[in-house]
Amino acid sequence: MKGTTLEFQFLFEGRWIPAREGQSVAAALIAAGERCLRIDEAGLPKGAVCGIGFCWECRCSIDGIADLRACMTPARPDMIVRRQRGLDPCPDRSS
Amino acid sequence: MSRSVVVVGAGPAGIEATAEACRRNARVTLIDEAARAGGQVYRQSHPALTGPEFADGGELARKSVLLRTFRDVERNIEYRPDTVAYALFPDRQLHVSHGSVSEVLQPDAVVLATGVREVAIPFPGWTTPGVMFAGGAQAILKSQRVLPGRNAVVAGCGPLPFVVAAQLLRAGGSVKALANLHPLTGMLTYPAALWHGRDIILEGLRYALTVRRAGTPRLSGYVPVHALGGDRLTGVVLARVDPEGRVVGGSERAIACDLLAVNYGFTANSELAAMAGARMHFDAVGGWVPECDEFGRTSVGDVFVAGDGAGLRGALVAEAEGRIVGAAAANPGETDRLHRELAEPLDRRRRYLSFQRAVRAALHVPPALWGLATDETVVCRCENVSVRDIRTAFASGHGTPNAVKRNIRAGMGWCGGRTCLPAIAALGQLHAGIPPGPMMTPRPMARPVTFAALAAQKRAVGR
Repeated sequence: MKGTTLEFQFLFEGRWIPAREGQSVAAALIAAGERCLRIDEAGLPKGAVCGIGFCWECRCSIDGIADLRACMTPARPDMIVRRQRGLDPCPDRSS
Repeated sequence: MSRSVVVVGAGPAGIEATAEACRRNARVTLIDEAARAGGQVYRQSHPALTGPEFADGGELARKSVLLRTFRDVERNIEYRPDTVAYALFPDRQLHVSHGSVSEVLQPDAVVLATGVREVAIPFPGWTTPGVMFAGGAQAILKSQRVLPGRNAVVAGCGPLPFVVAAQLLRAGGSVKALANLHPLTGMLTYPAALWHGRDIILEGLRYALTVRRAGTPRLSGYVPVHALGGDRLTGVVLARVDPEGRVVGGSERAIACDLLAVNYGFTANSELAAMAGARMHFDAVGGWVPECDEFGRTSVGDVFVAGDGAGLRGALVAEAEGRIVGAAAANPGETDRLHRELAEPLDRRRRYLSFQRAVRAALHVPPALWGLATDETVVCRCENVSVRDIRTAFASGHGTPNAVKRNIRAGMGWCGGRTCLPAIAALGQLHAGIPPGPMMTPRPMARPVTFAALAAQKRAVGR
């Protein structure tokens, strides 16, 4: 599934993830084999579920902003995506 | 002065309603949550994401006709993509937000064409990353052009699992098993209905051919009963269930996979209609929907509903109904004239509704299937509320999903109950004999909205 579109990378938990212009963060992560996008308040690993934005399970911290849905957020070059953990929804802000 | 109409949702019903109201000289605003028009079925990729299509040619042809209708009307309307409608109050006060700004619109008529979302039946392990709604997996494939899993198991009931399995195969994925609660051959008992839906059935047969050629194992009467894995899915246990929905002991079989795509039908996005005070009723197939007449008029004046949000009937009904309801919203109170002018879409809707009767049978979920979830299984994923919590709440006298929500927070999280509401109602019925009853009261915000957007609210002056 290759095209002639702009290709770039973003950071997820310290790993460079390849993405194509127009792709969502969730799609690029899934393509790169990442399934666990968040650790919830009970310690359960969570991934993308509804794929269309209503379930909010795939919410991530992106460039320091917490609770953005990976499935609805377009990937951009060099963005920093973090896995939220429990009640610390914004790892970048607290560190 | 011409009537102002706001249509919520740019899927087949919303686009057709917009076009028809526009033809009748209404001033139309089309609000849509997505960045591009089309809705869920006719979802458009980002223009930069080109690539092969995995949907059937018939569906692609209908999509291109609908999107042409949209493009033809776009310059004559106010089109607002990336905009959520999060509340509908009396006198058609519709609250919308876009980025960090919100606004109150108050048109002469509101058409709700908000469609449906998928229903999942919880089972042990269903929160494991890699378990997705089948339509969600399809969205990743269709609009993102990413294979949501290399080795998939697809399961559930109705036509969608079939379609998703075929599309995964066409995209180069491997489907380890296709488990269907009911054999789709059950539809053959509705010959007249099948005739009206013959085009769709041809598409179905082409998908079936893809699945057959791939040699994908078909497991009829099987459902996923346990998802395996820790921080990622490693496999799924499928088991056969009897007609009442109880697991047949000894029929379990484990299959390795990295994606479980599962769908047990759909439930209406009817929060805005309920919030406006429309009289609602529950349909086991399609969820809580507003009562409406043939022109989509709800019990609340000048609030209309069209498409799957008025009851699950599929995209073809939605297209016909959009025209009917768009006309009624632009020319209210002219029933005789509407009957005369809308003979074609009224007839088209009647024919496709008869086809939907056959599909309904394939979407029947036997109540005991909701018992697949054990006491420890999380039902409300946002607030981590388990079956035990919900069962205890119903058993201790909480008589409605509303009461359960208030006391144990089930349905109160980020998704606003949109994921777990059908499960909470079904568990009340299964464990406490409580019929679904009234819908869990939707409160604003029907979608999460930032404080910044609420603080920066524009209010329409006059009309």
